[in-house]
Amino acid sequence: MSLIKATNRFLHAWRYPDDIAREVEAELSFHIEMRTRSNIGAGMDPDEARLAARKSFGDFDEVKTECCEISRSLPFNSTVLKMGVYLILAVLAGGTALVTVNLPHHNLSGVLWQLVAIAVLARAFIVGRRSISTRQFPIGIFKIKRERFHNDKVFSSDVSEKYGVGIAAHDEQGRTPVERMFK
Amino acid sequence: MSKAKAGLLQGTLDMLILKALFLGPLHGYGIGQRIAQISGDELKIEEGSLYPGLYRLERRGWVESEWDVSENNQRAKFYKLTRTGRKQLIIEEQNWERLASATMKALRAS
Repeated sequence: MSLIKATNRFLHAWRYPDDIAREVEAELSFHIEMRTRSNIGAGMDPDEARLAARKSFGDFDEVKTECCEISRSLPFNSTVLKMGVYLILAVLAGGTALVTVNLPHHNLSGVLWQLVAIAVLARAFIVGRRSISTRQFPIGIFKIKRERFHNDKVFSSDVSEKYGVGIAAHDEQGRTPVERMFK
Repeated sequence: MSKAKAGLLQGTLDMLILKALFLGPLHGYGIGQRIAQISGDELKIEEGSLYPGLYRLERRGWVESEWDVSENNQRAKFYKLTRTGRKQLIIEEQNWERLASATMKALRAS
């Protein structure tokens, strides 16, 4: 399945989840129907054949749920996704720049739109700069934030100990440097 | 079941599905039948587990599906191998042969 086809299928699964559930159910029911016929052909009576078919199939609802979930999962790996997000951001920033240049600025709504455009551009610039400095695509913002938090923690304890900076977070009585200053 | 064991089984099932489809397009039920047939009825898999496997393979682009009419005039979803699926089957077969021969070598060592 090509990437376009996979993306279409993924979007369809999200837009029409009931369609996908019906499709999966029809497919699984066909399987049970075929197995039932085979069992009847082997000499079982219809009720017994259907029961045996359901048993050999396993948990119908669990299989159905799993198949629906797979249909709704992303059809490509995270690198492609990151590239896509990066591309969308670039197009958005480019489009916003064009809009900003061409907007009339003699009325209030024009000025407001320009401000919105500038805000979008500024955001794109910040995200782009972060991506470059950390060699990550914009989707990694959450990762960057987590790393920064982690780095703060490192700075307040481990680094000070390592370099003897003397800014240890707590003294032997459990007081922070600020508490030590005021007490 | 341990994760490693489950992973091995899943990988094996994927390979068997690809192998079954190598011979031509089939619906899910037909794939199960063909696996049983080509393994000389040695391999019995829980029939329902075929479908998540098929959906995963489709998502990876190794198989593709379309609805058609089955041999008994019912609507059924048929699967067929894609070009990347054929390539993947060759890789899987090679890996499997290497693993099997290495395991045999280890078991026969005195």
